[in-house]
Amino acid sequence: MDILYLLIPLSVGLVFFILGGLWWAIHRGQFEDIEAEGERILRND
Amino acid sequence: MTSLPGAVSPTLSVSSKEALVSVAQEPDSRMPAPAADDAERLRLLDDPQEWSAFSQPEKGQDGCWASSVVFEGMHCAACAITLEDALRQVPGVQSVQVSSASHRGRVVWSAGHTRPSTWMQAVRQAGYRALPANDAQAHERRRQEARRMVWRVAVAGLCMMQVMMYATPEYVSGPEDMADDMRSLLRWASWVLSLPVMLFSCKPFLASAWHDLRRRQISMDLPVALGMVVTFVVSTLGTFEPEGPFGAEVYFDSLTMFVFFLLTGRWLELRLRDRTAGALEAVLNRLPDSVRRRTASGDWERVSIRRLAVGDVIEVAAGEAFAGDGRILEGHTQVDEALLTGESRPLGRSVGEGVIAGSHNLAAPVVVRIEQVGAATRYAQIVALMESAATAKPAMAQMVDRLARPFLITVLIASLGAALWWWPSSPAHALMVAVAVLVVTCPCALSLATPAAMLATAGALARGGVLVRRLQALQSLAAVDTLVFDKTGTLTRDAFTLAAVHLREGMDEDQALQRAAALARHSLHPVSRALWAQARQRAELAGQDAMAALQAWQVQGLEERAGQGLQAQSMAAVPEGPAPDSPLAGAAPKPAGEGPWRLGSAAFCQAPARATAHLQVHLADARGWVASFELQEEVRPEAARVMRQLQDLGLQLQVLSGDAPAAVQQVAAAVGIEAARGGCVPQDKLDAVRALQARGHVVGMVGDGLNDGPVLAGADVSFALGQAVPLAQAKSDFVLIGGELGAVVDTVLRSRHTLRIVHQNLAWSLAYNAACIPLAVLGYLPAWAAGLGMALSSLLVVLNALRLSGAAPLGAGQAATPIQLTR
Repeated sequence: MDILYLLIPLSVGLVFFILGGLWWAIHRGQFEDIEAEGERILRND
Repeated sequence: MTSLPGAVSPTLSVSSKEALVSVAQEPDSRMPAPAADDAERLRLLDDPQEWSAFSQPEKGQDGCWASSVVFEGMHCAACAITLEDALRQVPGVQSVQVSSASHRGRVVWSAGHTRPSTWMQAVRQAGYRALPANDAQAHERRRQEARRMVWRVAVAGLCMMQVMMYATPEYVSGPEDMADDMRSLLRWASWVLSLPVMLFSCKPFLASAWHDLRRRQISMDLPVALGMVVTFVVSTLGTFEPEGPFGAEVYFDSLTMFVFFLLTGRWLELRLRDRTAGALEAVLNRLPDSVRRRTASGDWERVSIRRLAVGDVIEVAAGEAFAGDGRILEGHTQVDEALLTGESRPLGRSVGEGVIAGSHNLAAPVVVRIEQVGAATRYAQIVALMESAATAKPAMAQMVDRLARPFLITVLIASLGAALWWWPSSPAHALMVAVAVLVVTCPCALSLATPAAMLATAGALARGGVLVRRLQALQSLAAVDTLVFDKTGTLTRDAFTLAAVHLREGMDEDQALQRAAALARHSLHPVSRALWAQARQRAELAGQDAMAALQAWQVQGLEERAGQGLQAQSMAAVPEGPAPDSPLAGAAPKPAGEGPWRLGSAAFCQAPARATAHLQVHLADARGWVASFELQEEVRPEAARVMRQLQDLGLQLQVLSGDAPAAVQQVAAAVGIEAARGGCVPQDKLDAVRALQARGHVVGMVGDGLNDGPVLAGADVSFALGQAVPLAQAKSDFVLIGGELGAVVDTVLRSRHTLRIVHQNLAWSLAYNAACIPLAVLGYLPAWAAGLGMALSSLLVVLNALRLSGAAPLGAGQAATPIQLTR
């Protein structure tokens, strides 16, 4: 069970890492126009 | 900011010539004259001072600008992609993002390689129109706000999930299962993850509570913020000082979950509000973007409206809107000030009289000296008014707000009482009971109940082409039992059709119509426009020669006499083709006959009296009366169906019109309305509506917004069909932008549905608070359950309201406007 002493702090770090990814996605505006991105794939150019 | 406007300007002055050349060539070679004028307007934007109004220097890229633009003509997600493709192909455009949801875009371009006019021209050629977003700052602010909110929700959500993981072992393990240091490690981890929630996600609540405290006010954020802080402090002490007076209990899971749910509710509310605001903005961009200004040397130059200053002299063509408040220096015209004064008839304006920004010049070009510009104009004030209407609180919400204050004080006292009561037995327990009371009683759900529902409906209606100008009106509309319709432009189309022609002996019908049309095409009067349209339609059917013959008519010495008609000194058919003064000019002009020619009322043209239910217009020459045209209004094709649907909804229908009683009866019968009255002046209509109200009816009025200002204001609820006169819209509660009568049915249905939802929401939140307060005070409700209950009840209310933003209850609105997926 000693591994938990490493894994729990690691999981805290992981949460902050994922938060960083979310920050990037939100501030790039990825959640602002969801429809157009979905239709882009249907275009044949 | 890495690049200041001053720093880039040296490169600009060199390359701006190239940009001018490239733009100027295109219209000349390919486009007709109006497009050239359009290009001239676009070119105005090629000035750093102009483009900086809707652009900002792009950070990190020297000499690059990010422009916000609004696109006209977009209707689906595929349009966004087409636009992006078109813009990307322009050399110098660095990146493009077009949002199909907001019809806005952000174009990053390099000032060294291109100019706004160049890429706007590319948009033009793709079949759309790009307009500088003058409200870019407001829009940008809202977008930032929305992003920050999503980010807060994301932080709270992710941290909540992880904190819940750390809390699970404590819940599932027995008293002796877990080692003390493992337990404190889990608590420590929970504390670390609660920090961002507390310091960042909770900020709106804490800031608002602090703001209220400093102003010695009390709001619903106060108990929530208090609950958050107390929970966090108690849990922190529990983590780092388990031997302290507050015991070793921690509540990080309750805290984060509670914050997450609360934020989700706020976020949904924010989205609803933005959606409605976006729809409003699209309607508000009505001022011209450029004007013709007189220079010091007496020439005319086209400048952007923002360059306009008090004291400038500008020329306003017929059909244009005035750019500022001012006074006429030269010319005589008629103006439409319906938006600003409620006066719906065209008003005569001559030298020395005032005109106002946003009103339309209807008749003739005039020269105006500007006295007020920008925010000082009445137009700007009215726009501000419209915007505030969208954010105003409905009466039911106001009532809830009034109740909230005494309610909140009671809650604070109750939680303090509960804490004092439990303190002797256990201070930690006492605090958590107090927190539970604070949290569980938060009247969030109560205060969300009404606005959430009404905003959801307003947003749904806006997407269906109905603008809600006053949220309160949704409540009144649900109670309406009588709908009064105007006739002209409401039950009928604006256009007339030619019903009959009476002629002087020896006159041919086509000849008469052509001559009348030749006069009529110079007037903006609805009857004139109808005659011209009819003549064109006939000529189109007859073929190209007939069209050329019609176009060939020219008149001299034309004047328009208000209330009487048009008069021209002479009229002749000048053959189309080579210019009249060139040697190639073929046949000499053929005079039409002896002038002066007149087109107008019976008295003006000395026409014989003729009894008819239709509108008449007469033509006369030097020898007197030539012809009479009877014009018939065309009943809207959907009117009969819509009336039947409205009657099925239990509404009584009436027609009140200023037209001849016989014509009104005829139209009313055609659409299936029994109660009809004609010959009403606006005051009569208002009296009739007041009489209905006195008998206890709740009256809704549907008009075209042209002649109905006072009635629209006097009725409990009013609709305006926004097709004909966009600026008259301001008077009514609802504006049917698409000009479809069917939208009335949809709006009525939705308003009733909305009120049902509001009642459900209010009932639910009252019942919830009434049931939970005693439980919490008695200590039966732990803080986490209180948080969950409160957040769930808010969420329930918002989700219940969101049902309203779905598809139309009857599908009526959607049937009228099919959704196009491809262009």
